[in-house]
Amino acid sequence: MALATSTSSYDLKNAVSSNRLRGLWRMMTGFRLKYLGATLSLALAATSKTVTYLLLRHYVDDVLGQGESAGTLLLIALGFVGLALFEGTFTFLSGRLAAQTAEGVVLRLRNYLFDHIQRLSFTYHDHSQTGELVQRSTSDVDALRRFFADQAIGVGRIVLLFAINLTVLLNLNWKLALFSVIVVPLIVLISVFFFKRVSKAYESYQEQEATLSSTLQENLSGVRVVKAFARQAYERDRFETDNWEKFQRGRQLLMMHSLYWPVTDILCGLQMLAGFFVGALMAINGTITVGTYMAYTGMVIWIIWPMRNLGRLIVQMSTGMVSYGRVTEIIEEEREPLTAGTYSPNGDLRGELVFQDVCFEYDSSSPVLKEISFRCEPGQALALLGSTGSGKTSLVNLLPRFYEYTGGSLTLDGVELSAYPREYLRQQIGIVEQEPFLFSRTIRENITYGVGRDVSQAEIEAAARAAAIHDVIATFPDGYDTLVGEKGVTLSGGQKQRVVIARTLLSDPRILILDDATSSVDAGTEGAIRAALEGLMQGRTTFIIAHRIQSVMIADLILVLDKGQIVQKGTHQELLAQPGIYREIYDLQTRIDIELEREVASVAL
Amino acid sequence: MSHYEFEEEEFTSQFNGRTVLRILAQTKPHWKWVVGFMLTIGVVSALDSFFTFLSMQIIDKGIVAGDTEALVRIVTVYGLLIVVQAVNVFGFIVLAGVLGERVQYDLRKKMFDHLQDLSFSYFDRTPVGWIMSRVTSDSERIARLVTWGLLDITWAVLNITTAVIFMLIINWRLALIVFVTIPVLVVVAAQFKKRIIVQYRLVRKANSKMTGAYNESITGVRVVKALGREEQNLEEFGGLSSEMYQAGYRAAWLSALFLPVVQLISAVAIGSIVFFGGLQAEYGAMTVGGIQAFISYVTFMLWPVQDLARVYAEMQHAIASAERVFSLIDAEPEVTDRPDAVDPGTIRGDIEFDHVDFYYEEGKPVLEDFTLAVKRGETIALVGPTGGGKSTIVNLLCRFYEPKRGVICIGGRDYTGLSLHAIQSRIGMVLQTPHLFSGTVRENIRYGRLDATDEEIDGAARLAGAHDFIVTLDGGYETEVGEGGNLLSVGQKQLVSLARAILARPEIFIMDEATSSVDTLTEALIQQGMEALMQDRTSFVIAHRLSTIKRADRILVIEKGKISEMGGHAELMRARGHYYQLYTRQFRHELKEEYDPLRAASPAAA
Repeated sequence: MALATSTSSYDLKNAVSSNRLRGLWRMMTGFRLKYLGATLSLALAATSKTVTYLLLRHYVDDVLGQGESAGTLLLIALGFVGLALFEGTFTFLSGRLAAQTAEGVVLRLRNYLFDHIQRLSFTYHDHSQTGELVQRSTSDVDALRRFFADQAIGVGRIVLLFAINLTVLLNLNWKLALFSVIVVPLIVLISVFFFKRVSKAYESYQEQEATLSSTLQENLSGVRVVKAFARQAYERDRFETDNWEKFQRGRQLLMMHSLYWPVTDILCGLQMLAGFFVGALMAINGTITVGTYMAYTGMVIWIIWPMRNLGRLIVQMSTGMVSYGRVTEIIEEEREPLTAGTYSPNGDLRGELVFQDVCFEYDSSSPVLKEISFRCEPGQALALLGSTGSGKTSLVNLLPRFYEYTGGSLTLDGVELSAYPREYLRQQIGIVEQEPFLFSRTIRENITYGVGRDVSQAEIEAAARAAAIHDVIATFPDGYDTLVGEKGVTLSGGQKQRVVIARTLLSDPRILILDDATSSVDAGTEGAIRAALEGLMQGRTTFIIAHRIQSVMIADLILVLDKGQIVQKGTHQELLAQPGIYREIYDLQTRIDIELEREVASVAL
Repeated sequence: MSHYEFEEEEFTSQFNGRTVLRILAQTKPHWKWVVGFMLTIGVVSALDSFFTFLSMQIIDKGIVAGDTEALVRIVTVYGLLIVVQAVNVFGFIVLAGVLGERVQYDLRKKMFDHLQDLSFSYFDRTPVGWIMSRVTSDSERIARLVTWGLLDITWAVLNITTAVIFMLIINWRLALIVFVTIPVLVVVAAQFKKRIIVQYRLVRKANSKMTGAYNESITGVRVVKALGREEQNLEEFGGLSSEMYQAGYRAAWLSALFLPVVQLISAVAIGSIVFFGGLQAEYGAMTVGGIQAFISYVTFMLWPVQDLARVYAEMQHAIASAERVFSLIDAEPEVTDRPDAVDPGTIRGDIEFDHVDFYYEEGKPVLEDFTLAVKRGETIALVGPTGGGKSTIVNLLCRFYEPKRGVICIGGRDYTGLSLHAIQSRIGMVLQTPHLFSGTVRENIRYGRLDATDEEIDGAARLAGAHDFIVTLDGGYETEVGEGGNLLSVGQKQLVSLARAILARPEIFIMDEATSSVDTLTEALIQQGMEALMQDRTSFVIAHRLSTIKRADRILVIEKGKISEMGGHAELMRARGHYYQLYTRQFRHELKEEYDPLRAASPAAA
């Protein structure tokens, strides 16, 4: 946890830039010194490698066969070991510092993204796909990690090796040095060109792999259909087509590799050999010493061969930059301000709501709520009745400020709702849905989720009892520690609902929203849920959303909604007394009983 | 993402010889390729060592001797061999690479073919994700081992061997001194690689946990917001991301340490070459070129050693993969054709369940002593509570499972004497949770009979009441239905799957709550068609719609694996038993749905 806080001081919003390299540079804020250290270590390691060759030169020219003592030889031998130790230390240091940078940068990024996503508005989440967001938060972030950890540093390594060794070679013999790098620009070009094409071929290979996987997945999840129609042969053909195509694309990819590596082998090899030849001639002429020649043969390797991989790193870096763009697209989005509000309430709400000509639309084209006006006293139960799409849920979504109303006035305890901080409203409002979302955690954690204080086991059990779920939990082997979801028990809709009722009892909100919670899913537990809900409603302003009469009869005020408008308003008795949808629905009950009797009578004859 | 949790099984650390042999056997049909890449890689490693030898000769025979002619000769040979080397590199990339793809292909094909034969019971107990991992990543891992793995080992071993031989030729005394470091190098490298692999596994574990956390917080973001739990979630996530940081950092740290350590070991070897070689050079027992060659051999021996260590670690992983893959290939289908199974050409006739017992799990009987005789052409309705055994009865009839005791006869003969294809290709089944394949509506209907004409598809769709909604879709019959058919509503999927079954012209027709999500209006529309369809076919209908049940010749109330009531609609109503209760409850429910003015206001409540 300490790691999370120490790096979170930098607001990554500042790292958003249309210039991707600048953006990546800003993302490294706080780690730049480390990264600089990594680069310096790399340079030191590369230098010591070069020095090793110079020591070899000295050894061959001045020591070997010159009748020097064993002591001198030992000293030189130790010199080699010492240089390796020096080089190794700095290679390691460089790797370590680069890892610290890369892991640190992405740790901060991951934490930021996680928090950022959960603070984006409802509207944003309505329009975004879970899979896509997860993909960006994981794969793309990992691409950025590789950018810092492997690719940028890898390019640095190749460039440094080239620069240092070339500089020394230029000093030893500039003609020979220049002669040795003739082919290098060509290699770099070929390499960039090749890896660009290979990355495309690789993508198409990966795509085919995905196609194959989904063919397989469909076959497996549709296994009943396959067997029911005895379509095994057909399925085999389908899979065969995709499987064969993957084989073909894999082969294509390989053929590209099988050309690149031998061709560059020949280019690099012949360049190196040409250098050997010219160098050897110079050594025979006496232009250079044997030791110089030997140092040269060692160093020249480092300015030719690594160039073959430069293209790979450059192409990979460009995918890292694409990932940067995908990640910053999320970061750019505005967060929902949770604590902002011109009014700072003290204590709990009373729960008095006044809607005055409230209008709402998700986007400017289609109004969802039109001129809604009504009044709700503290502690009253208010019911919203209407078909799907009539605006019931949109109306209650305004209360915790999940969305902002676009017209009219909505006051809560006499203060305009938009003046309240969202955080406060959400603490004061509890929501129970018909089939609520539970987290893959234990039942205990789900019950205490978001309660915001320490809750004792006794309290949890009391709430679970009141929600008529304790007995069910007691039947699980792990009781309250039972995991919910994929890796644990599957709860029915009604059971999930009662878990949420228990949670809501603990968090004790002043305003309660029951979103279709009263039309129970399991007939058997309908009574239990109803009783639990009635207990929950005591002393709270309650909004009941329903499309069944039985659920709304007890309400102090019933609003019948149709196409975003209130079409009927009143108590159960009042609404029964007037013609309209409400009475129609009510009459249905009676009609069903009459028809059933008639039906039974007709067979009985 | 769906199957990442199946990736992280522990691998067995034992070296199982039989599995290794069986892995190698995968290349048997392509043995020429294996020989090919072994030969080419052999040439490559021999030449690698020879190049160093030539470099030595350039110095000793060329430079030190001052012999330009010899120099030209050596360089010419060197240059030609570079080309030869490149040709061999080309050879092994093609041979090993293509073979690798081929072995993957073979393994996937073998697994997929076998999966088509496996029984329902296998799929009941094996998660889809597990199978997916076997077919995708495990097959890849095995293929890599038998090609690149084998190649790397060969290359490494030959490279070391040839280097050793050349060193012995050049100066056997010095060679022996250098050889002391080789085992040290191998052991250290292997230990390192093992630890690095463990670290990377921890990274993957932490990563999948973190992905899970992202997934859940985004799926449940509305709840998180409603409960204002952002702070605490961030704190919890901070724990996970720190774990990831630790694992990732440790893995990178270890990897960064690996190379310097092995380099240091070889530096000790170089030091001894410098020292002892220098001593020998004093009395002419060692040339300058020889020292150069020794240094080169030792320096470049690092790579084969590193490769050996890596391949060894990967091999453990691949063996575990292979064990899982072989367990899939070896799984015996529980329901399979008897050796003398026949296809009688038709399965029209009476159907009889004779004292049948069945259970999915031992000790939890689903059907006990179930006996039922159905006349050819009869329509049987099965009603009763969930879990009573209705679906099991039709699953047994389709021979997705076979009775544990007792016999099922079709047309008077024990159906285990018939081929599976004979039975299953003549039964049409429509399920409550219909599964469509991605592709167009037309392709999905055609799945019922592959050679059906477009007119026939059209006809089947009309009969199933699917035609009307299909033509309103943007692409009509060519509309893509999405993965699992998820772009259509459940009711629409049911109609398409009904059309698919109709098109198959089955001899026995089974509907398992097939129209439960179809609205009442459409249901009424397709009644006539369904009646025509069932008239001359033996049909089994599991349903809760009254209209469907009432049409049946016989209604069976199934409770706890037994028939608790049986008879016609009127008969059972008069009895005022279970059926009566079921009926009145259902009646109430259906009428409510039908007349609900709020429901009616919302379009197509599917």
